[in-house]
Amino acid sequence: MSFELRDHTADVAVEATGPTLSAAFAAAADGLAAAMCDEIPDSGERFDLEVRAESREALLFDYLDELIYQRDVRGVLPVDNEVEIREGASDDGDRARGSEWVATGSARGVPLAGLGAREVKAVTYSEMALEETDDGWRAYVVFDV
Amino acid sequence: MTTNDAETYEAGDVTLRKVREYVWEVPKEGDMRVPARVLASETLLDQIADDKTLEQLRNSTHLPGVRKYNLCMPDGHQGYGFPVGGVAGIDAEEGCISPGAVGYDINCGVRMMKTNLSYDDVQGREEELVDALFANIPSGLGGGGVVEGDIDTVEAILDRGMEWALEEGWAVEEDLAHCEDEGVRHDSDPAKVSQKAKDRGKNQIGSLGSGNHFLEVQRVTDTYLDVVADAYGLEEDQIVVLIHCGSRGLGHQVCTDYLRDVEKAHAGLLSQLPDKELAAAPAGSQLAEDYYDAMCASINFAWVNRQLIMHRTRQVFEKVFGSDWESLGMDLLYDVAHNIAKKETHTVGVGPEGRPAGGGKAADTEERELYVHRKGATRAFPAGHPEVPGAYLDMGQPIIIPGSMGAGSYVLRGGEESMAETFGSTAHGAGRTMSRTQAKKDYWGGDVQDELEQEHIYVKAQSGATVAEEAPGVYKDVDEVVRVSDALGIGDKVARTYPVCNIKG
Repeated sequence: MSFELRDHTADVAVEATGPTLSAAFAAAADGLAAAMCDEIPDSGERFDLEVRAESREALLFDYLDELIYQRDVRGVLPVDNEVEIREGASDDGDRARGSEWVATGSARGVPLAGLGAREVKAVTYSEMALEETDDGWRAYVVFDV
Repeated sequence: MTTNDAETYEAGDVTLRKVREYVWEVPKEGDMRVPARVLASETLLDQIADDKTLEQLRNSTHLPGVRKYNLCMPDGHQGYGFPVGGVAGIDAEEGCISPGAVGYDINCGVRMMKTNLSYDDVQGREEELVDALFANIPSGLGGGGVVEGDIDTVEAILDRGMEWALEEGWAVEEDLAHCEDEGVRHDSDPAKVSQKAKDRGKNQIGSLGSGNHFLEVQRVTDTYLDVVADAYGLEEDQIVVLIHCGSRGLGHQVCTDYLRDVEKAHAGLLSQLPDKELAAAPAGSQLAEDYYDAMCASINFAWVNRQLIMHRTRQVFEKVFGSDWESLGMDLLYDVAHNIAKKETHTVGVGPEGRPAGGGKAADTEERELYVHRKGATRAFPAGHPEVPGAYLDMGQPIIIPGSMGAGSYVLRGGEESMAETFGSTAHGAGRTMSRTQAKKDYWGGDVQDELEQEHIYVKAQSGATVAEEAPGVYKDVDEVVRVSDALGIGDKVARTYPVCNIKG
């Protein structure tokens, strides 16, 4: 899995790839961290997170949004992201709502104090892509800086 | 991207028609509901046509209820969904409101505080001043805020804006009198702001953040409309302070929350739009009302954020210059919002069947209440407009246009043409022209700082990368942006300033 930061006039775009959907999600999350900090130290404790959404693309949006939220409330930069993506029945058992997508993962939270990290404000849907390729999955996300 | 003759401009698959000097129209075609206009010189248009600005501007005209035309200001550039520098007047009864078209940083804006210091008083003490400002004003990621608040504090701020600051001793009455909407949106409802948003906001009350946000001490180098400059209390060599920041994580979360809620609740409308980031709640729907109330609450939060930073700046100046802030004449000139939607009354065309119409073929005109979306655009109300605060009613509202840390900034006043031409709006800054990733390849923060110091501009930042990303060379020519605004009569040049000290995240 890997990511690249892509040019955008005002903001930052991350292009992430991975052999599986889960790997592409984790790479996009690591790309988000790289957009905020160039040199990431080894410090910090891991924390868990779980996110649910109505579609794969919405889950990517909500997963990255959750990392930004955790950054602000925990005061840490989430790095070394690990995540498993699965499709499952809604947990309220309401079959009429159909399936939902679930991300279960963890991140290492590097304390922000003294890190000199820059703020990414939010995830956007603008130009978002999440597609299966010959080699696995590709995600493209523009973040508001 | 060439001009084939004097009347049109070819930008990829878009042909712009020249309406008159500095006014270019993208004709209504396909599913566009109204035409779009770009206000630019050819130099600026070359830059605007170079990324996805025009595509995003055309996409924005698909929103239901847009009136007349959507606009791109002279500093416009590609954003997400709606372009930065975008203005749309959307009918508040028959149209919609779009969180993404307001932007994540709700009420990102600028304020300028005056002083009675002259440049002579500051020269030789710039490093002491920049160090004291940097040490005392929270910036960057995880830098805390001026106020360590709890949820009750956040809710009081969301509810009452600058009135809260006044009650708590962070503001004086004169500060409120010199702020857009007098520093409070009474339509706010803290209950419409999520717990997540409040949790993000409570550690950030009174903080700059990072990116393009900054605090800059400046000197006035030129004044143009002397009667207005006098009324604003601006003169050459005077020291002023410009503060640029927004609603921090709280506002970002509010936009995110409502974007997702609108996506789920109004999928039918969304399916008609060319970009998911434009997701909109139909006027009159519960979500439109809730978002408006939450957005107004976030606007209040941003005003308090800038107020607390201004309060702290006054304390720093008191310490550095050994005099109280009142004696230093540290009064607020004005505070303007960049990313907002506001219910405002504007004159728009009425179509043949008595329905509001876009385009120029209306049978007559009428007053309509609109959600005026301004994203990276500033309100520019002229003299005499009832919503201009009393202090500036005779002169027109001050507009503050920050340039880069190497180029200086402008103070304008709302122009006579703004109501007819731009839903009472003008530019908001210089506008970026180079990506952040490219900027970090082309510039190194330390070199940029050294070069600026040669020009007697002292910069201090939490991150060298921020200095590189915000290097003067990544911005458009602010002089050209302001020249177009002035020539169109939407925002008239009053004064120009030049940086002295700059702190950023």
